[in-house]
Amino acid sequence: MNSLLRSGWERLWRDRGLPEAKALARSLIYQDDRVCVLCGAAAGPLCVDCRKAYLHPELGRCSNCGKLIASSVSLCTDCQLGKGPRHLDRVAAWGHYAGLWKDFIWQVKFQGRPRLLASVGKDFALWALDRLPPADGVIPVPIHPERLAERGFNQAEVLASLLHWQLGLPLVEGLVRVRATPPQVKLNRQERLHNLRGAFQAARGSGLAGRSFWLVDDVITTGATLEACAEALRSAGAAEIYGLCLAAGMEKMLVGLEN
Amino acid sequence: MKFFFTYDPDYALRLSPCPELDRPDGTRALAFLTPGLPLGLARVVLENARRQVRPNWLARCGLDGAVRRLGPAGRSGMEWSQREPRAAVLRALAASGLPAREWAWQEIRESRDLAPELLVKEEVFSTRVRGRQLSEGDLTRLGRELGLLEEDVLRLAELAVQSGAGEWVPALVRETAGWRCQRCGSKQVEEWPDDWGTAATCLSCTCLGSLTSRQALYRDRRRILVSSAFRFQPVGELNSAQAAAAEQLLDFMRGKESEALLWAACGAGKTEVCFPAIAWALSQGRAVLFAAPRQDVVHDVAPRLAAAFPGLSAPVLTGASSRRFAAGELVLATTHQVLRFHQAFEVIILDEMDAFPYAGGPMLAWGLQRALAPGGKILYLSATPAPEILQRARRGACRLIRLPARYHRRPLPVPRWVKLTMPWGAAGLSQCPPALAAELEKLVAHGPVLLFVPEIPWVERWVAVLRQTFPAWRIDGSWSADGDRQAKTARLRRGEYEIFITTSILERGVTIRGAQVLVLAADHAVFGLRGLVQMAGRAGRTADFPGGEVVFAADRRSRAVVEAIRWIEEQNRLAAAEGLLD
Repeated sequence: MNSLLRSGWERLWRDRGLPEAKALARSLIYQDDRVCVLCGAAAGPLCVDCRKAYLHPELGRCSNCGKLIASSVSLCTDCQLGKGPRHLDRVAAWGHYAGLWKDFIWQVKFQGRPRLLASVGKDFALWALDRLPPADGVIPVPIHPERLAERGFNQAEVLASLLHWQLGLPLVEGLVRVRATPPQVKLNRQERLHNLRGAFQAARGSGLAGRSFWLVDDVITTGATLEACAEALRSAGAAEIYGLCLAAGMEKMLVGLEN
Repeated sequence: MKFFFTYDPDYALRLSPCPELDRPDGTRALAFLTPGLPLGLARVVLENARRQVRPNWLARCGLDGAVRRLGPAGRSGMEWSQREPRAAVLRALAASGLPAREWAWQEIRESRDLAPELLVKEEVFSTRVRGRQLSEGDLTRLGRELGLLEEDVLRLAELAVQSGAGEWVPALVRETAGWRCQRCGSKQVEEWPDDWGTAATCLSCTCLGSLTSRQALYRDRRRILVSSAFRFQPVGELNSAQAAAAEQLLDFMRGKESEALLWAACGAGKTEVCFPAIAWALSQGRAVLFAAPRQDVVHDVAPRLAAAFPGLSAPVLTGASSRRFAAGELVLATTHQVLRFHQAFEVIILDEMDAFPYAGGPMLAWGLQRALAPGGKILYLSATPAPEILQRARRGACRLIRLPARYHRRPLPVPRWVKLTMPWGAAGLSQCPPALAAELEKLVAHGPVLLFVPEIPWVERWVAVLRQTFPAWRIDGSWSADGDRQAKTARLRRGEYEIFITTSILERGVTIRGAQVLVLAADHAVFGLRGLVQMAGRAGRTADFPGGEVVFAADRRSRAVVEAIRWIEEQNRLAAAEGLLD
């Protein structure tokens, strides 16, 4: 995120009344946040029913790939078999990528509504603080400059900017996307990993050596993207890398039992 | 979508999304500036560049926004140096306050003709986009319907712009205080920082897909053509009341007035009454739009139009239509789809104009005016016209045509108020109040009962309670978001229920033989005068069952209840006075 964009978003968080790092505890409810941003029905910004239905506080998160799992285990079945990412120290994903939560993320990304993230910013920051150890900075997963020119924003960067604003964590432009890749959606796991090979590089001079970072993206599915990013960061000397996302999949056995 | 400054010696400076494209007249651009920018920003810079060109070289901004060299006043044939306009653009960019970029003029060594297989699709494309206003997303979708790639659709659109058939318009434009969406006219936007400064997303017309200030709209300048050979074959005859109204409508079509209101009683056949006027307009080469607030209403009218106008291409455009961009001279659409047209129709007929989502929606009123060709006519159809239009009619700004009687020449059933105290309470409904059960028994003896309730959660509750109370009857219910709504409505039409519970979604357009109506909690805030009149209008619509009881069950006689009854009585009085009743 160049400095113009960065200051643009910070000005927006401020004007919108989002509490800054120091004022996190005392915050007023902003106009937009009075109704639930997902269902529009009950008290916002995220109502009790939607939290239960999508954020699943009762479920655990696979510490390797962030997938939603039973709270009695610490790894999902894929990661237990060694299929998950290897270069991340821990991963935390807030909600289940389904239903209204999926719609919300889709709306932000594809309907030009990045500002909607402000509604969930404070809760997300507090949740992340609880799940991940403190770090030296937050790094967003970059998108290719062509994609940025098309959409005008990178939702991972907007999230990172929010975390920076709420928690005071430095926003580090640690990664560069050197190769545009076709969408991952239709590819299987092997193809996705291959797709992303060499797509990311550590940015020069970002002072990564020996430091710890939160690596932020909106959604994690196989973890291939975060994995490729983490590899690049490690080769530049980063010490600890924690993945952080808004949404992940759910352990297959649990799907359907969630209600 | 990015627009690029292009330069060529004939047309000087232009903006184009595909600079390498040859023009229809064979000329082509010599150079273009990278990187491209959103149209809104580029326009401002182009205007500034125009002003910067030396004043003794008159420069004119054409219809397509191009800055053309006219030569210094009095002298012709002077070559405008290649550097001057390009330098003007770079100066304007520097002065614009836009973030710095590595601006560079690129020479175009080879331009591109449109591939022949693409040219073949040009005519189909042209027919489909006539009179329309399309977003980039719409163009992509149209491309898919035509089997074209996104970039090819854009090229065809740009060709249309170059030939003057259309223009590119920035999707959202800055005004003195804020932004205005060029698709729906709304000023309700959400701003956010982008790589050019501040962008905005329109919050009002999201039902048609998202629109941001970074995008452009393709706006066609042409009207829709009426070309197909069709016949007008009315099904059945109009009765005397309808014939009189139809005559007045024809007169309106032929005359100079621009607005008219057909105020018809519920079930008076206001749709069929319009057909002769529609036929006349079409025969004069005037394209007609028939717009209604909800899909049900549109789907109700479509087959009737198809039956009366065989051979006419009359596409139905709703949110659920699979072919969104079908061409046609008589278009049926839900009102949101109207926002995809621009000065396309000479005649717009607006059915149920007082229904949601018109009421309180300036966006749709704006959209209708935009869809109307200059000098066009709007005809409003309603059984319960909104106060604003009645005022305009009284002032003479809008012609009033009345159709107070139903075709079977029997009066409208006048609702009667029955005192019924609703069993409130957090415990919910446990059993049917005896007074209500008695009324229902009376009504069911005459025909199927349409039971209207004010809120969606009531439907399931009452279905459960009434099934308990009347185990022998077939009872069901529906509401707007019910997935089975279509199927249930079809069953209702076939007379397969004793009681059907519904919210106001079924208040309009639906004809059920022998229907009796009971409105529960008729004094509820959600039931306005117009809603009540429409609900009452469900009874007695067919010749075999011209009667039908209407009961407003409420704790008290609310203002809406009193006025609705008065309104219906007045319609009957007017009909009797005009000799339209037996």
